[in-house]
Amino acid sequence: MDLALLLQQESTGDPTAIGIFRFFAGFLIIVTIYTSFLGFTYWIGKDE
Amino acid sequence: MPIGNLDVPIIGKNVIIAVLVQSHILFAAFIIGAVLIAATSEYLGMVTKQTYYERFARNLARFVVLLFASGAALAITFVLALVTLFPVFFSILQNIFFWVFLVEAFMFLGQIIIVYAWYNVWDKLAYRKSLHVVFGFVAGFFGLMAMTMIDAVASFMLTPAEVTSQADLVARSFLNQTMVPLNMHRFIGNFSYAGFLIAGWAGWRYLRTTREDDREYYDWMGHFGLLWGFGFLIIQPVIGYGYLKGIRESAPESFNTIMLGDKSWVFNFLALWLAVLSIASTAYFVHKLRFAIKPMETLRKLSVGALGLTALFTVLNVIPTNANLIPQIGLVFGQGEATKIPLGSMYPWKYIGLIGMMLVGFFVVALYLRASATGFHWGRASRWSQVALMICAFVVVLTMVTMGYTRETARRVDNDPAYLINGCVKLDQTIVKEGCPTTPIMEGKGG
Repeated sequence: MDLALLLQQESTGDPTAIGIFRFFAGFLIIVTIYTSFLGFTYWIGKDE
Repeated sequence: MPIGNLDVPIIGKNVIIAVLVQSHILFAAFIIGAVLIAATSEYLGMVTKQTYYERFARNLARFVVLLFASGAALAITFVLALVTLFPVFFSILQNIFFWVFLVEAFMFLGQIIIVYAWYNVWDKLAYRKSLHVVFGFVAGFFGLMAMTMIDAVASFMLTPAEVTSQADLVARSFLNQTMVPLNMHRFIGNFSYAGFLIAGWAGWRYLRTTREDDREYYDWMGHFGLLWGFGFLIIQPVIGYGYLKGIRESAPESFNTIMLGDKSWVFNFLALWLAVLSIASTAYFVHKLRFAIKPMETLRKLSVGALGLTALFTVLNVIPTNANLIPQIGLVFGQGEATKIPLGSMYPWKYIGLIGMMLVGFFVVALYLRASATGFHWGRASRWSQVALMICAFVVVLTMVTMGYTRETARRVDNDPAYLINGCVKLDQTIVKEGCPTTPIMEGKGG
């Protein structure tokens, strides 16, 4: 099956390679958003 | 022209929602907890005249004001994503919870106005401190009310209320079976989460700073943050038990999935996070007692004993029930579920572990507060004690993410089918008529 089509199927809840990939991809994005927003807030808030 | 059923390539639309909501909640929970901690600190500064409280409250208020934009931006992006990717589901929620969403919007507005006013009039109201403290608590109250509104929606998704007529739809859906325990769990969790993050930040700053007065301040801040973090953490198992009891009574299949079934690894992870948080916090307390202004050797020895017991009880919680560890990635040993692991069963071992952990936690916090009454020599903390605080901050974020995932994945009982509203609306947004306790949902037309 075409990879693009394959990636549009399944979900995080299924024990498939795609599901597991999505689980970790999601987690990585959460951590990235969280740390970068916190870092940005610190940066704009710190005194010169 | 209707836009049809949109999907997101590569990571899928479910992950988009999960990412936006989890990121949002990491900010929102911190903001609610931090506003209340800062307001309390300002009040303590007013009463005790100790300068650290005031400095801490003002800095935290400033950080919250700046952080508000990130939390709010993620919230609105999430709603936009939900409307776009799950339009049928969102309109059902909007139909049931119109008033709840409306109240939430105004609570959010109230919170943002009061938080900004609170920070902005800090100097102006310097001589009317009582009034100023009230600003902080009112902002915290608005935040809690906004949280309460969304908790009604989130708990309803897992345990839809038994409603048979349109007339009592709003009230009964609002007070569904798990709404109150979820709200309590999050209320306490906000303090604990924000407290651990503050402690971790203080630990980092303590190790980085070169000024003596700053070292003393950050040492104090780590202690203050950890008291909130660990002090509220040890209440959580009881409330969490109440919450799970609610889930078991109203959605037994979901309970089985997350506690006994293929997703029970989430609670193994939770036990692991709890063990790290408890042991690191208790070790910090033991270390800090060395610097009590009035030497308290007996208290310190007792707290060393408490550290040993904390390790014992928390390790008891970590032992899995069976060898079916994480079946999704093939982490299964022996005969899987049939291979029972000694000391791993819920009854009596995990009950002993949880209750023991709480009792020892209360004991050690009481000892520590007793020593705090006479004060500590600040600025002398060791490097590892600050690293322990930073580990706590890291692990508490993992705890939040794990618990958020747990609540949402509880509606995917073997994915056969997975639900958006448990038993009522499936993941593909089709409406299930049979077994849905909220009758008015069935009046809609299935997709």
